[in-house]
Amino acid sequence: MSEHKIELTVNGHRHAATVEARTGLGEFLREELGYTGTHLACEHGVCGACTVRVDGVAMRSCLMLAVQADGCEVTTVEGLAAPDGTFHRVQQALQDNFGLQCGFCTPGVAITLATVLQDNPSATTGEMEAAMSGHICRCTGYQGIRRAIRQLAGENA
Amino acid sequence: MNFHASSVGATRYVGERTPRKEDSRLLTGRGQFTDDIQLPGMMHIAYVRSPVARGRIVSINLEVAREMPGVQAIYTQADLAAIPVQMMSFFFTPIESPVSLLADGRVACVGDPVCMVIAETRAMAEDAAALVEMEIEEETPLVTIADAKTGPLVHPDKDDNIAAEMGDEDMLEEAIQPLLDKAPHVVTHTIRHQRIAQSPMECRACVASPDGSGEMTVWMGCQSPHLAARYLALVLGLPQESIRVIAKDVGGGFGLKNIPWREEVAVVVAARLFGRPLKWIEDRYEALTASSHAREQEVTLTIGLDDEGKLLAAWSDYACNNGAWPMGEDANIAVHMFMWPAHKLPAYGFVTRGWYTNTMGLGGYRGPWAMESLIRETTLDKAARKLGIDPIELRRKNLIYLPDQPVTSGMGIEVTDITPGECLEKLVANVDVAAFRKEQAEARKEGRYLGMGITTYIEPTGSAGSMQPMTGETVHVRIEPTGKVVAMLSTHSQGHGTATTMAQVIADRLGVAYEDISVFEGDSAIGAFSPGAAGSRQGVIAGGATWKATELLADKVRAVAAHLSNASVDAVTIDGGMVHVEGAPEMSRSLKELAEIAYGEPGRLPEGMATGLEAQFRYQPPPMTMTSAAHCCVVEVDAETGFVKILRWISSEDCGTVINPGVVEGQIAGGLAQAIGQVLLEEMPYDARGNPLAATFKDYLMPTIFDVPDFEYLHANTPSQTIGGMRGVGEGGAIIGPPTLVNAIADALSPFGELGGKKGEVTLPLTPSRILDVIEQRDVSGHSAHAAPVPAAAPVSAPAVPEAPVAETAAPVPAPAASASIDGDWDMTLKAPMGGQTFVAHFETQGTSLSGYLSAPEGQQDFSGGTIEGGRIKFEVKVDKPMKITLKYDIQLEGDTITGKCKMGMFGTAKVTAVRA
Amino acid sequence: MKPAPFDYARPSSIAEACAILSEAGGGATVIAGGQTLMPLLNLRMSQPFILVDINGIADLKGVSRVDGGTRVGPATRQADALRDETLARHLPAFVAALGHVGHYQTRNRGTVGGSVALGEPAAEMPATAVALGATIEIASVSGTRSVKAEEFYLGPYMTALEPDELVTGITYPDWPDGHVVLFREVAQRPGDFALVGMVGALALDGGKVSRAGIAWFGMGPTPIRARQAEDALLGKALTEIDADAVAALAVADTAPFDDHHASAEYRRTVGKRIFARTLRETLDIRSAA
Repeated sequence: MSEHKIELTVNGHRHAATVEARTGLGEFLREELGYTGTHLACEHGVCGACTVRVDGVAMRSCLMLAVQADGCEVTTVEGLAAPDGTFHRVQQALQDNFGLQCGFCTPGVAITLATVLQDNPSATTGEMEAAMSGHICRCTGYQGIRRAIRQLAGENA
Repeated sequence: MNFHASSVGATRYVGERTPRKEDSRLLTGRGQFTDDIQLPGMMHIAYVRSPVARGRIVSINLEVAREMPGVQAIYTQADLAAIPVQMMSFFFTPIESPVSLLADGRVACVGDPVCMVIAETRAMAEDAAALVEMEIEEETPLVTIADAKTGPLVHPDKDDNIAAEMGDEDMLEEAIQPLLDKAPHVVTHTIRHQRIAQSPMECRACVASPDGSGEMTVWMGCQSPHLAARYLALVLGLPQESIRVIAKDVGGGFGLKNIPWREEVAVVVAARLFGRPLKWIEDRYEALTASSHAREQEVTLTIGLDDEGKLLAAWSDYACNNGAWPMGEDANIAVHMFMWPAHKLPAYGFVTRGWYTNTMGLGGYRGPWAMESLIRETTLDKAARKLGIDPIELRRKNLIYLPDQPVTSGMGIEVTDITPGECLEKLVANVDVAAFRKEQAEARKEGRYLGMGITTYIEPTGSAGSMQPMTGETVHVRIEPTGKVVAMLSTHSQGHGTATTMAQVIADRLGVAYEDISVFEGDSAIGAFSPGAAGSRQGVIAGGATWKATELLADKVRAVAAHLSNASVDAVTIDGGMVHVEGAPEMSRSLKELAEIAYGEPGRLPEGMATGLEAQFRYQPPPMTMTSAAHCCVVEVDAETGFVKILRWISSEDCGTVINPGVVEGQIAGGLAQAIGQVLLEEMPYDARGNPLAATFKDYLMPTIFDVPDFEYLHANTPSQTIGGMRGVGEGGAIIGPPTLVNAIADALSPFGELGGKKGEVTLPLTPSRILDVIEQRDVSGHSAHAAPVPAAAPVSAPAVPEAPVAETAAPVPAPAASASIDGDWDMTLKAPMGGQTFVAHFETQGTSLSGYLSAPEGQQDFSGGTIEGGRIKFEVKVDKPMKITLKYDIQLEGDTITGKCKMGMFGTAKVTAVRA
Repeated sequence: MKPAPFDYARPSSIAEACAILSEAGGGATVIAGGQTLMPLLNLRMSQPFILVDINGIADLKGVSRVDGGTRVGPATRQADALRDETLARHLPAFVAALGHVGHYQTRNRGTVGGSVALGEPAAEMPATAVALGATIEIASVSGTRSVKAEEFYLGPYMTALEPDELVTGITYPDWPDGHVVLFREVAQRPGDFALVGMVGALALDGGKVSRAGIAWFGMGPTPIRARQAEDALLGKALTEIDADAVAALAVADTAPFDDHHASAEYRRTVGKRIFARTLRETLDIRSAA
């Protein structure tokens, strides 16, 4: 059971810590750093709730070890809004369209859509929906999420 | 009803798609879910669970596990038993199975919790849990309903494997069968509904912190902090005030979390024993295999119709696999109550049983009685095909429309304002059915199979005053000295958006800005008792309470303003946070100014008026408020692969006053997505050894964005009789969704034959393999090799009789030797649908005539006009709760015991036993 | 659902990785993207003593042209491979199959080598390696060896890889310009493992099939090469091909199983149909061109 010193940046803040090899990135973000916006809902990589951005790329924080994030830049849902609290346009679109109910899957959904748009600011509805295949929402029937996607794609058009 | 009195301003909030108050924190990662709670000194729990479905625990060896790093304690049932617990159902009736928090000598299903490991981290707790050595003498488990009927007892101290039963078997022969025999057309249909894992995105979770002496703060994923606190206090025998439950954000409930269950109660008990805060966060493996499941039902419905398609009689035989430890023996039992009140049906009877097996127990799930709509609507469509009648016409012939009401159904349910027919008319006015039929015919020529399903249903919502936890709601609203508005409610949102909708009602009724209102909920220390999210009730009851409390507050504001301005109350209006006096614009004041006076300058208030600006109201609505809907779904079935694509789905629902269409449509959509999962994807199968086979989301297929189409909505908005006119809408989609989709698929496949094949049995989910069974008229799915036969339930010839070792329902037999006098008090138990009821029965005889009373803590019910002849006792008691029914007792005295039955109208027949008090 | 304890090493060279694997004596597990391994670790279905993270080994990443083929480094991220121009040009069947692996988020971290080396019988990449005739390059402290994909897969999650060995490259032989890509899968939801699927390539010479490589996934304990179907196609002009007859031969080589998502009979029935449909549609387009 090895322990490892790591340094990483989360939402622009630098953190150093010593982690057990087996500690998952999602668990580390929540338990050690207090970024509890990242939700662990299946811990086997299917539901997508724990999706975070690592070095600009959206991935499952339950399928990555904290030690593997050494030197990385991580963005969690807490890092999406502007410093003054203004919503990221994905957050705004989700609220405008009743794209969330219980809110447990929402952080992952927001990170995925924000990352698709970061890579391609003119992403289409189809591209955003395709990225949504990796998320499970039990509340909304995806109606508001799909409307939010259309709104975001419409902003692009 | 006049929604909008003139005393408040012009800005309307009720009916608007107002953005949700909950969203800001949830979208930015600042919600507060139970796993987000960290307390100093908090330890973590992992459960050791049974790997076998049935057996005797020979030994548990904890030595190695206790030595693991970070382990603080490992408890077994022997340890937890230091604090006695009597588990209860949602209705606060004692659980009848011998359920304990941890396994007590025996295990009865895979996943049964056996030990609790307490360690510094969850990982450490799991390390130790893996090293607990259990020796279990394994026995052959009972897995299916068929197993339960013939196998040994699941719980050795019970009489049989029947967990609960309702209905009157005799009625088939006496009343229904003769009508069916005379009916020109008889249609029988069977549906087997698979077992479902409710799967809220947040698994169950509990943090318990012992505070002070005997007090406890509990953070818990629940559907009502008040209900959870009351439940914990009751099962632990503690004063309710000693337990505070906080649940600010909960990631979905859907019925699974309507009461704390074994693991959560065990955390609370362990925290008391251990004396430090404990946290248990269920993981998804546990959630899928060891959280209470839902459904797993088999139902056969037989209907008789005349040549025009009018219903003549119906009989239904229903069974569900309740598992070993249902969260109430009645779990998923009460499915017949609302089968037919919306239809002109002269006679209906049923029998229904829940069976214990060695599988995980059943709990609640959105629309727990949904099976009634699934079997009714699919059978009606089958009848329509058989009779060659359009399924919409068949419904028109049988549905009760508004002009037909009030009317009382054969089962004694009076309906006064249901609108399934009106919803249907609205639906078909917006769907070009004729054009679809043309398109369908054209498509078939090309080998494309389109289908349309149209269904209706009604649902009792906002239930209050009929069953223990189903109560009214208290709302406290006040204007703070700052002029801002605060409301304290006992509502709870697991996604419902109650802070939003209640704030809309307040803004609308008070004439203040939505942004100036804060709603506090989600804490048993806030507000008064209510069961929170249960039975589609919050919009109706909390909405009505908020409506009225706010109007009372507005009245006070106007009274103060009138007094200050020396004006008539009628001249005062509130709008946009300002108080105006008609004809005196210079007298306009902000609410802040008025509040400062009301709080700080008592001398300026009318004489005798209480200071402050606040109002409180507890709303007790009518016992039930009915919601109606009609839905239409269009599908295309790929005949090569058996895949179903949903092309269109239109909802036409009547939930009365819509506070927020975004919230209402969200509820409908969520229910429909779950329905799609049930019909096409989700399944929790067990193997023959009682192992649950879908242990991850790789195997338990949740609907994704690609499985759910865009839903279209039509709102009928017939105001109900409640304050505000709302009707509940939380469960409807999950109830009407399954039959709508099944009917659409059956319609698409009608060129190939009936969906249920020759046997008339439809098994869910309709996997691609099962769809190919129908298309190819052969056994592609391997169904016949795997599935147990449906019990002989169809009543066309004879009633179903349970096989041995099931005890016969106690029935009066001709009198034996005359017994001793019946006069005096008896402790009587009625095995009623919502748990057992125990009360004192007092009898007084005069010759053969009998009178007396039944007495329980809730009240006393007198009766007279009974008879006693040769020890056979008959009497009738009229009750108003849960609805007006006459209880007909028919019991037999033998020495110091009484056995027999009680006919309870729509609730069927209950077993009665009594001993001398 | 937390992993059992393990040590963690992040070697920077193949030699270093092989040395760690050798020292561990079978107790080590290699992690690349971890998109399948991490769930197994979290569920404690995999409990290695040491996890060997190969993400720091530059030699294991990237796509290159080699003599007669295209070589993919096993630690190449699936998302990177999907965007790779060399793969798009030379291995369109590989790209078609890779697009169906997992989801956007898992392809960002998951690797080609992880999917190939794991040996999930219903997964796309093992069958693609078999169909296209790939060679799997393997290293250990004892040296290097190569195994043909067809011989690499022994059973569900069982491969010819020894516990002390590391996959160092997957080389896919070139298929002639203009070869035909065959791909179709039936899965209940996007990103799921297939109920049944097929992938392959056909080379044409003078209007006749000169080379065929087709494999099934989800149709048995390993990816299964449709050898009888390949033989039946070889030498045939496109217009002579009886798609239904070839599909029947293809299914004859399979050994599907029942599970609660689909029966073996379903897999055979639908497998035959998608095989025939794919062949027919592809050949129709080609014949018309």
